[in-house]
Amino acid sequence: MSGAIKKTTGLTGLAVAINPHHTLGVLYGKILRVLQKMPEDAAYRRYTEQIIKERADVLSATSDVEQVEKKINCGQVEELIVQAENELLLSRKMLSWKPWEPLMKQAPASQWVWPPAK
Amino acid sequence: MQHVRMASLLRQLTRTIRTPVVQARVCSNGMKFMSNTPVETKEAAETRPTVRKHNLAQKSQLKDFGRYAAECLPKFIQKVQITGTDELELLIVPEGILPVLQFLKDHHNAQFANLSDVTAIDVPSRQYRFEIVYNILSVRFNSRIRVKTYTDELTPIDSCCDIFAGANWYEREVWDMYGVFFANHPDLRRILTDYGFQGHPFRKDFPLSGYVELRYDDECKRVVAEPIELAQEFRRFELSAPWEQFPNFRNANAATEEVPLPKDEKK
Repeated sequence: MSGAIKKTTGLTGLAVAINPHHTLGVLYGKILRVLQKMPEDAAYRRYTEQIIKERADVLSATSDVEQVEKKINCGQVEELIVQAENELLLSRKMLSWKPWEPLMKQAPASQWVWPPAK
Repeated sequence: MQHVRMASLLRQLTRTIRTPVVQARVCSNGMKFMSNTPVETKEAAETRPTVRKHNLAQKSQLKDFGRYAAECLPKFIQKVQITGTDELELLIVPEGILPVLQFLKDHHNAQFANLSDVTAIDVPSRQYRFEIVYNILSVRFNSRIRVKTYTDELTPIDSCCDIFAGANWYEREVWDMYGVFFANHPDLRRILTDYGFQGHPFRKDFPLSGYVELRYDDECKRVVAEPIELAQEFRRFELSAPWEQFPNFRNANAATEEVPLPKDEKK
C-alpha cells in the first residue's frame, strides 16, 4: 500500500482488511471454481464469470490497492471483499437451486391481470 | 316527483350513450385524445411542477435489468413488467422466492440489500387469491425493484427471514392481516391486532364490523368479548352506476407494460 496505513473504512461494522489483495484473489478463485460446476450455457454462470474475470484481471494487473478500487469502481476494497463473499455463497446455493432450468410452472391465466377479472 | 323525472332523464341519457353511433363517436374522440397526448408531450417539454416526469434512461436501465434477471433465473421468473410510474416488477413462482431474493441481494450486478417492505393484496376472484409483494432497494445502484408472487389460504410460502432479517415483522404483519402462512418463520405470531383476535382483517371477506365486540362488564369487573350483534339485517348495497364514469379513459394506457423476455422470442 502506498502512503499512510488506512485506519478506518468509515462504514459502521466494516473493519479495515489486513491483506485485501490476497483475500480478494482467493475469493475470486473460489467463485470461479464453483462456477465451473454449472452448465456452460447457464446465463448466471456466463455473466458472473464475466464480472469476476474482469475484476480478477484488474486485481492481478494492479498491485496497489487504491488503484484496484479506482479501476473496479464499486466501493472500497473491504466492500469488494463483502461482495465477493456474498457472490461465493450465492453461487454455492445456486448449484442446488439450478435456476437455469426451464420455468417451473406458468401462473394461472388471470393471476397477473390488473384490474382483476370479475 | 322531481327526482323521479330526473332519474328517467338520466336513464334516457344512458340509453343514448349506449347506442352504437354515439359510442363510436365517444370512442373515436377517446382514441384521438390518446394518440395526441404523446406527441404533445414530446413537442412541449413538461414544465408543470406537479406532473411527474418520466426518466427514460432510468426506465430503459430497469428494463435491461429485468431482462438480465429473467435470463439468469429462467426457472423462477414468469413475467417482467414496468408499471406506469416506471417501477420494475418481477413476477415469480411461489417456490422461487428464496432463490430470487438471494440472487437480487447477493449478485454483483444487483446488490438489493435492503428490504423496504413486504405486503400482500387480496383478490378473492383469483385461484391464488393473495399476491405477496416484496419491495427491495439497492443502495449501491440507487434503484428499487418489486418482486411479486402468489399463494392461497392454505399454501405456505417460504419465509425470507434468513435472507433479510428485517422481513421478520413484515411477514408477521402479512400473517396477521391476510392469514398467509410463512414456512420456517422463527416467530410467526400476530403483531398488529389484539391478543385473542380472530380472523384476518385485510381479507376482502372480513366484515367491516369484525366478528366480536369488546365491552366492560360490571358484574365480571372486566372487559368481555362477545360475538357481535348487528342492529340491521345484512343488506346488499348496489354500488355500480348505470353509466360509464370515465369514457375518455376506456382505452387508457394499461397500468403496466410487459417487458418481452428473450427466451420467449427464441421458442
